[in-house]
Amino acid sequence: MRRRRFLIGGLIVFLAAGYLGYIAFQRATIFYYTVSELLVQADSIHGQNVRVNGEVTPDSVEREAAGRILRFTIIDGEESLPVVYHGIVPDTFKAGSDVTIEGYLDSAGTFQAHTLMPKCPSRYVPSN
Amino acid sequence: MADIGYITLFLALVASIYSAIAFIFGAKGKHPTLTGSARNSLLAVCGLVSISVAVLVYALVTHDFQIEYVAAYTSRDTSLPYLLSALWAGNNGSLLFWGWLLSVFAAVVVLQKRDRNRELVPYASSIVMVTEAFFLILLLSASNPFHKLLPVPADGMGLNPLLENPGMILHPPILLAGYVGFAIPFAFAVAALLTRRLGDEWIIAVRRWALLAWLLLGVGNIIGAWWAYVELGWGGYWAWDPIENAGLMPWLVATAFLHSTMMQRRTGMLKVWNMVLVILTFSLVIFGTFLTRSGILSSVHTYAESALGPFLLAFFSIIIFGSLGLLYSRTKELKGDVEMKSLISREGAILLNNLLLVGAALAIFIGTVFPVISEAVRGVKVSIGAPFFNQVSGSIFLAIILLTGLCTLIGWRRASIKNLIGNFLWPLVAALVLGIGLFILGIKEWYALVAFSLCGFVLCTILYEWFRETRARHRMRAENYLKAFWGLIWANKPRYGGYIVHIAIILIAVGVIGSSVYDVEKEAALKPGESMAIKGYTLTYKGMDRYQTQSKLVVTATLSVYNEGKLIGELVPEKYFHRSYQQAVTEVAIRTTLLEDLYVILVGWDEDGTTAFKVLVNPLVNWIWIGGGVLVLGGLIAFGPGQDRYEYENKW
Repeated sequence: MRRRRFLIGGLIVFLAAGYLGYIAFQRATIFYYTVSELLVQADSIHGQNVRVNGEVTPDSVEREAAGRILRFTIIDGEESLPVVYHGIVPDTFKAGSDVTIEGYLDSAGTFQAHTLMPKCPSRYVPSN
Repeated sequence: MADIGYITLFLALVASIYSAIAFIFGAKGKHPTLTGSARNSLLAVCGLVSISVAVLVYALVTHDFQIEYVAAYTSRDTSLPYLLSALWAGNNGSLLFWGWLLSVFAAVVVLQKRDRNRELVPYASSIVMVTEAFFLILLLSASNPFHKLLPVPADGMGLNPLLENPGMILHPPILLAGYVGFAIPFAFAVAALLTRRLGDEWIIAVRRWALLAWLLLGVGNIIGAWWAYVELGWGGYWAWDPIENAGLMPWLVATAFLHSTMMQRRTGMLKVWNMVLVILTFSLVIFGTFLTRSGILSSVHTYAESALGPFLLAFFSIIIFGSLGLLYSRTKELKGDVEMKSLISREGAILLNNLLLVGAALAIFIGTVFPVISEAVRGVKVSIGAPFFNQVSGSIFLAIILLTGLCTLIGWRRASIKNLIGNFLWPLVAALVLGIGLFILGIKEWYALVAFSLCGFVLCTILYEWFRETRARHRMRAENYLKAFWGLIWANKPRYGGYIVHIAIILIAVGVIGSSVYDVEKEAALKPGESMAIKGYTLTYKGMDRYQTQSKLVVTATLSVYNEGKLIGELVPEKYFHRSYQQAVTEVAIRTTLLEDLYVILVGWDEDGTTAFKVLVNPLVNWIWIGGGVLVLGGLIAFGPGQDRYEYENKW
């Protein structure tokens, strides 16, 4: 009898927790695309918060407004995407390196990024 | 030189394999000479790997750039502390460090337990030697730290400037030591399963090892967070990065383990659960090692992708499925004969605490590996953002904090409601007063009020308990209060160490709540002479300066800080540009007080002198680091010998 009470109580807690977790999970799931995949879907995901991965094209990096606005393009071999980033540029960001950006594609086809996550092999392996 | 390093590792591999086999045969067939030789072999492994480490350290210090690892992580102008810490800066070196720590811990165990646990030690040592052999195989094949370069470069690459920080000297070795430390409790658990000695023996044997590993892992995580805060310069200290999670998950499960083993020793319950927990902890350690070194999840922490992934994944599978399988085969013998009488008791609270901790670890695990699973199953890559982790773990941790308070004043077995009310009255009143006080002071957000009041409640329950026990001892022994309190701690080190650790967790919680809910940030572009205001502070930009040092160009911007008109100091954020590294390094300037941090980042500058800053105010963030210190204190006290007599039985 007591066993069953424990089990039922535990099950309720578990289900409640699972449900809360599920909701949080859904809200926090962010789709992750390469540049080509993003451009293929361009029309259907305008304004949606997504992550995109690509390589920063060398010579495409421009800084404006005393470093607070960063413009660059990322490519993944074939397609390229212009990006505007507002925020602090991480020290590990570099032209030619791999980067993941998070933000949304605006109606003009420019990606407005609010988060920059450079993948930096040079953090543990120095640049050559 | 490098060859000596490599050959000693090879010899160590041979010795560790021999040791693993000889321990089993010696213990099973009761051949003490075989066991003795296995023991000597284990000690030899420790000696050999130590020689290998010494070789690498020597090569680092003498700039032996023929060794690729030395050339990759140091240069001629790297200072001595960073030459030494380069040992763990890169993948191969840190793996060697792993293997070295494991061999040292194994040696300490056999020497420490010469006359104790005679049946468990051979099997446990064998398990440790198998693990050691595995890491040695990795070191000899895919992760050779002694790989040579031809031609020999004139100078090395130098250490990535982001790693040149005291936190970076301490964080990896402490964290790795915590990781490796869990191999010992795991080995003893498996030994207990193998020898069918399924009572408390293995738990008592590893109490201090589990505590040590837990403490090191916890402190390692906190130092990592502190380093991220002061060095990475984004104003935060935890990003739910997969590798951060890899360090947190085993720590949560280990916390559950520390509590539930205490419960098994007092009540005989949870025998199977304790086995599961320790297997889970060590499996998460190996899994974390896999995540960090396989490159499978993108993270700011990952070492460059290496071939280690499949090896580590295979080892992880063997560990977890092998031990759980072994456990399953022994479940009948493990059933405890004591049943839990009531959920409203300390047993119930500890069980709930365990479920919450493991639940949190599970949620974090799912969030961390989901991207990989999603890609494998659906072909769609997703990331799980911070909000998921924050919401789920935030709620679970608050519940755990509440439990911490309840646990202190609930008795073992069954607690009567009258008893409960009596114990909780004063702390509850104090918590309510605190909540009302905070509301009056201006804190209106309900979650912050609840969270802070909860912290206050728990703090009061602990202090109240201290007061009551001190008073009882004072009456019994006619000591004055101070002497009684000191005597209490001295006679009950594990318990009072635990209380202090709980207080540390509260301090950390207060710091996290304050800095997460009430942080303020503002950006401004200023010309010299202009000011910006944030939360009662006024910062006036005075000007920019540049100077060269031996290795870098430093650009500084000076800001005068005023609080309500009065000059309270200057902050000088910097950026510098290393000669050998292409990337800039941003050094933030922080004004630290107990109440809050004023945190300034130099973002950039224009030709015309306009300089952009990002300024943050992080309330209560230093309580996190203070809490970390208190954690160390509590942990160290808890190492002391415990009492065998269970005084609780006399009380309730």
